[in-house]
Amino acid sequence: MKHLNRRHFLGAGLLLGASALLGKETPEKPIAVPQEYTPPIIAFPEKKPMVTISDRPPLLKSSKGREIFTQAITPNDEFFVRWHLPDIPTHIDLNEFRLEVKGSVNTPLSLSVDDLKSKFEPAEVTAVLQCGGNSRKYYAVTGQATHGVQWDHGAMGCAVWKGVKLKDILNRAGVKESATWVGFNGLEKPAMDETPDFFREMEIAEALEDQIIVAYSMNGEDLPYLNGFPIRLVIPGHFSDSWVKMLSEIMVMDTYRKSFFMDVAYTVPDNDCECVVSGSDFEYKRKPIAAMKVKSVIGYPSSNSVIKKGSKVKISGVAFDQGKGIKEVMISLDGGKSWSAAKLGQDFGKFAFRPWSFEWEAKTKGDFTIMARAINRIGNIQPMPDEIGWNAGGYQYNAVDNVSVKIV
Amino acid sequence: MKKLLLLSLLIASTLFAQVDKPIEMPYVEYPIESGDHDEVVQQYCLICHSFGYILNQGKKSRPYWKGTVQKMVNEFKAPISKEDQQMIVNYLVKHYGYETQSNQSGH
Repeated sequence: MKHLNRRHFLGAGLLLGASALLGKETPEKPIAVPQEYTPPIIAFPEKKPMVTISDRPPLLKSSKGREIFTQAITPNDEFFVRWHLPDIPTHIDLNEFRLEVKGSVNTPLSLSVDDLKSKFEPAEVTAVLQCGGNSRKYYAVTGQATHGVQWDHGAMGCAVWKGVKLKDILNRAGVKESATWVGFNGLEKPAMDETPDFFREMEIAEALEDQIIVAYSMNGEDLPYLNGFPIRLVIPGHFSDSWVKMLSEIMVMDTYRKSFFMDVAYTVPDNDCECVVSGSDFEYKRKPIAAMKVKSVIGYPSSNSVIKKGSKVKISGVAFDQGKGIKEVMISLDGGKSWSAAKLGQDFGKFAFRPWSFEWEAKTKGDFTIMARAINRIGNIQPMPDEIGWNAGGYQYNAVDNVSVKIV
Repeated sequence: MKKLLLLSLLIASTLFAQVDKPIEMPYVEYPIESGDHDEVVQQYCLICHSFGYILNQGKKSRPYWKGTVQKMVNEFKAPISKEDQQMIVNYLVKHYGYETQSNQSGH
């Protein structure tokens, strides 16, 4: 794996500085560091000004950078945005909007948002929403740059989601014996009819699990348009690719429907490490990404902070996993030689960001690398950056996070 | 009847506070390099996505950009002729990429 990465180091110059700090070999030939494009910061409807990676389809991240991860709950107006198709309705009339439940069910349903609120038991969960490609730019620190938009940690957030259990909706409709899969579609549409819909599928057994909800509320308010108003699917512990926004159709099916967005996009090699061992990624049998991997992100300080000697620095951030719960977050200030436990903050539930903090008195002048490493309750621990398995899509990045600071 | 009307008005005003008019999405003009048939790039790429998709990927190899344009045609059904595909790939490699002798991994 390491060898493969080094051989294909081209294009991996984005973060050479950090790579050197981590003690990695520098590549033999000097590499021209590609100039990184800086996207504009623009206010979208119901959002504060956010870094606009794309306006169509909208891809937005908080303009605060890491600092957004000093809090366990991400505000709606700073919550990241990522759509797949360019045509998103700009107006939804709740008098007309319906969630259709159809296919292999005894009673097809056509539910208004008001029906969801008044005819079902409400359910609530605090859960992390993280794009499968979140943090993928850091694969380039130790290996080849991956496909796609080079997200830093900005494609994630945590919110309190309230809605209706998916299983309650499915049980109300009555799933037929023959059903094996459930498909989900939202109101985002491609520019051309021939382009595949963003249609996602889930095995029926998973769809009937207790924790999945159809959410009509986010942090106590209506969902912002750009986060899927009026309803979206919430699959706690799972990457966000199937958290379908503006959910309009639940299709119960007897057979799996092959599609680009299930079989090609958001897939990784179907092996133990879910990574490329040799050769090309797409020579491997694929599997869709699903459960998230244990991860922690430093919210404060930011990289390249200059700190006055003698200052007390409250290093802080968030940690999460697939829903087993965070057991411990460890901090290193010496490049990973020694580790000390951070203090875990309020527990918002096993699917939520677990805030953590670590008091550090900056006694010595010089350059320091702060690293944070989380371990969950079943012993999953974050890999070091040079240990992480690589995949071409740049999915599931969860290596130990680090920031470099200067004490003066 | 009056009561019913009042009630429905109340419901309407609370439910639709946020959605009584369409949202307005800002348009962003992403700066891309001109020349080398950028008009072909504009014509096809912008059908489905902004140039933000190109600018935020970092520099990529020729096999990468070729694979990406093929994905747009084969998977997303972009109606681009073979000749125009080649023009787009050349444009992307020149302005947002680099040439490599061989690149076996990940494409």
